[in-house]
Amino acid sequence: MKVILEARDVRYRYPRGMEAIKGISFHMRRGEKIALVGPNGAGKSTLLQMFNGMIRPTSGTMLFDNEPIRYDISSLRQLRKRVGYVLQNADRQIIAPTVYQDVAFGPVNLGYDDQAVREAVATALRHVGLVGFERRPPHQLSGGEKKRVAIAGVLAMDPDVLVFDEPTSGLDPSGSEDLMELLDELNHNGKTIVISTHDVELAYPWAERAILLLDGQIIREDVPDVAFGNTKYVRMAHLSVPTLLELSAELGKRGFMIPERKPRSVLDMVHIIENQLRKPYTPPAPGTITVCNVDERETSSLPGWLKARPGIAVGAMGTRAKQCAATECIALEFTYGVIDKCLLRALRGQDSLILTTGSMVGRVAARVEAYGKESGNAISVVNLNTTNPFPAPGHMDVEVSQNDLTSTKL
Amino acid sequence: MFEELLDDVAQNSAFRHIHPGTKVLLGLGSLIICLVSPTPVVPLISGVILSLVLLIPVRISPIMYGELLIAPAIFTVMSVVVLLFLLGGGDVIWQFNPVLWINLTITTGSLSQSTLVFFRVFGCSISLFFIVLTTPVTDLFNGMKRIGIPIELIDLMMIIYRYIFIVHAQAVEIWQAQVMRLGYSRPREAIRSFSLLCGMLFISSWNAGEDLIRAMDCRCYDGIFPSLDLAEPVQMRSLIPVIAYLAGLGGVLIVMTTGGVAVP
Repeated sequence: MKVILEARDVRYRYPRGMEAIKGISFHMRRGEKIALVGPNGAGKSTLLQMFNGMIRPTSGTMLFDNEPIRYDISSLRQLRKRVGYVLQNADRQIIAPTVYQDVAFGPVNLGYDDQAVREAVATALRHVGLVGFERRPPHQLSGGEKKRVAIAGVLAMDPDVLVFDEPTSGLDPSGSEDLMELLDELNHNGKTIVISTHDVELAYPWAERAILLLDGQIIREDVPDVAFGNTKYVRMAHLSVPTLLELSAELGKRGFMIPERKPRSVLDMVHIIENQLRKPYTPPAPGTITVCNVDERETSSLPGWLKARPGIAVGAMGTRAKQCAATECIALEFTYGVIDKCLLRALRGQDSLILTTGSMVGRVAARVEAYGKESGNAISVVNLNTTNPFPAPGHMDVEVSQNDLTSTKL
Repeated sequence: MFEELLDDVAQNSAFRHIHPGTKVLLGLGSLIICLVSPTPVVPLISGVILSLVLLIPVRISPIMYGELLIAPAIFTVMSVVVLLFLLGGGDVIWQFNPVLWINLTITTGSLSQSTLVFFRVFGCSISLFFIVLTTPVTDLFNGMKRIGIPIELIDLMMIIYRYIFIVHAQAVEIWQAQVMRLGYSRPREAIRSFSLLCGMLFISSWNAGEDLIRAMDCRCYDGIFPSLDLAEPVQMRSLIPVIAYLAGLGGVLIVMTTGGVAVP
């Protein structure tokens, strides 16, 4: 496919400020669906605004249709006609007092005659499903409808590339689904679509290519299952692994056969599970979950304790525990959904440590106990604060069973 | 929320499909007739008929209509009471003289003048309400362009109209955030909170203004603001009754002024 947009080592520095884009090169082919994913402040919006010339890179070149973008007024008008940009806040994008006037804004300014304007508006409104809304004022519309008006306003100029900054922000789940479907439809009609988001669950099944952005740089660019499947990069970019991908990875770690093509939908997942159900499975002996209350014990010895136990994973629950891990330079494997992730490890026969505070210690024990009752798996929780002194690695189990009164043997 | 409410009512009114020119003609025509009428009967007839039109075919909720009329009614009654004692002429009807230097008198002249003022205000307010409740502001912009109001002014009006609701929503949000944290609990605190609200609103409006320029640039702004050219053509079905009504009202006015029935 033909390359339509390209960035060659672009950099951008805010006037008298920090560098927002630190040397990015990539290309976009005609008809592609790309998700630009990264945490807040990664430079997603800045990069997107370069696509239609709203921001001019400090150095490097942006190319559209293999031609370097020129920044004089008439070239920019041409570019903006072909690269439509939908802002994150639809209220800020809708400028006219009625839907018709807003959608007509682009075509009128491009100098279309009356008949052509009417046709462009009618086509755009039909595309987004807002026929009959022409005379409505925007403030009477719902969030999803406003978003659609904003999209129609861009569609009316018939661009080749559509750029969406956080398209689903502020929409309810069904509104988000509807919008993603609309994006798919537009893509089927030949538009190249690029979205920025931090919603990996949304981007994973939708995108053909995912670009992970962090701190003004691309840290990974690949098909979604590779880009989102790499826990190291995903964690670096302050994101989470999509549930489907995590589930298939967990099944893979238990020795189940996962096909080369990772599941992109619930249907794919059900297919994998159904195939597996026909094979016998013997689980390994479960691992142990150790809990440490960082408020109650001196934590400087933790790195040594961890060093003696290679292969143990550490998770942290709560801000204080995370701060403590940062102070002690402990690499955290899990920062959310920690108990369940440790349970998954224990089921694979691996040990883990949870750093937490106060009453959360009891919650870990309660959750593990509840899970044990439900599933019939016996997993033990060890409270590090009551095992004193730190047991040596080889003797851990013995020490635990003798000293640890809070251990929950299920 | 009142301004939003009025515009919403107009947007959803049963007369929405009628050409705005016809509705404005009816409203302004009856307003002028009420204003020039030297007798209270004509504004009374006009007010009653337009109210019935608003309540029955336009289907405005009677409760809402009543609430709308309360504000002008209070102001009118207050002014009319003052006029009653202020004006003079004719015979004395009622006199009140509690102390030497206070003399409150109602005369036949002041009574007839006050009645006229009261009904004029009544008729004129309802004529304006008729326009407000049946014609959304967005429909009026086009008419303004036709009668030759400078396009720059209309563009500005359209942008202001669009942003009133955004700034209003933002003001409500900030105000709620302040009230939730006991912002207006004491008089001093109220002044401080209000100044903070104004400041925040200014900053956010400034940002919104910059975003507006960006949004316009994104869509190739070249100095043209599209107009809403979708209004229905003028229909004889609605124009003829309007003209007939105005002619009737004018006729009543002429008969009453020349026939000597009018109060001098």
